[in-house]
Amino acid sequence: MTADVFIFWFLSILTVVSALSVVLMTNPIYSALSLAMTMVSVAAIFVTLQAYFLAGVQLIVYAGAVMVLFVMVLMLFDLKNELQAFSRGKFTGAIKIAAVGILAGLIVGAVGSFMLAAGTSAPTNPDVSTSADATRALSEHLFFNHVFGFEALGVLLLVIAVGTVALSRSKGGTHAKH
Amino acid sequence: MPSTSFLTEISVNHYLILSAILFSIGMAGVLLRRNIIVLFMSIELMLNAVNISFVAFSQYFGKVDGQVMVFFVMTIAAAEAAVGLALAVSIFKRFKEVNIRFFEHLKG
Repeated sequence: MTADVFIFWFLSILTVVSALSVVLMTNPIYSALSLAMTMVSVAAIFVTLQAYFLAGVQLIVYAGAVMVLFVMVLMLFDLKNELQAFSRGKFTGAIKIAAVGILAGLIVGAVGSFMLAAGTSAPTNPDVSTSADATRALSEHLFFNHVFGFEALGVLLLVIAVGTVALSRSKGGTHAKH
Repeated sequence: MPSTSFLTEISVNHYLILSAILFSIGMAGVLLRRNIIVLFMSIELMLNAVNISFVAFSQYFGKVDGQVMVFFVMTIAAAEAAVGLALAVSIFKRFKEVNIRFFEHLKG
């Protein structure tokens, strides 16, 4: 068993366990901590897939900014352990879990049956061997081929920032008394 | 004797199956939990699962299109979290609770 294999299994088990604890913890602050753990291990998975720049962006954007947003909002709310953390109804709950299980089985079965025949040797691009080369190839592709989407995302972020500030300043949400 | 090569040879399938498991956990969270914050966390889990499979395919085919798509997904996810949490704050201001059963009062 080589180091790559061990790292993959370690990271995947860590990711799945912390993702499960996001869903199963009844205290939301523990869910947020588990989510941060999941983000960090997903960033490590990106490193094993040789997407070094994306791993850095994942750490900064998700494990940094988005998690700070979640934890700030949780601190605003001052939540204790919830009495009604999960949805009510044994029967509907069983149906929901069964639906999730069927979806997981479908995806895993499809991947296992169709992709295993394709072989395990991945045709890796030879000129993305080092991290600087990979980042250069990514940035050239982003700014040459997808520059319109990039600019559109900039406009979208501006709209979202204005909308978020307007939404959080309005008194009483949509029930505002004029 | 069953082959143990799936344990010792990591292919793109392993990453895809990991992505499917993460996506299903996130979907279970969206369906089963009642707290709006935990719901958003589960949505982030699902988006991360999709990101893993994008990057796995990108590395498998040796193209960077998948990684560019991951950039876009991350931006949209951050925007979605910001708007969703602002909505949660406005719900909490009125009802002192963030359970999703109060979302029916938003209509009108």
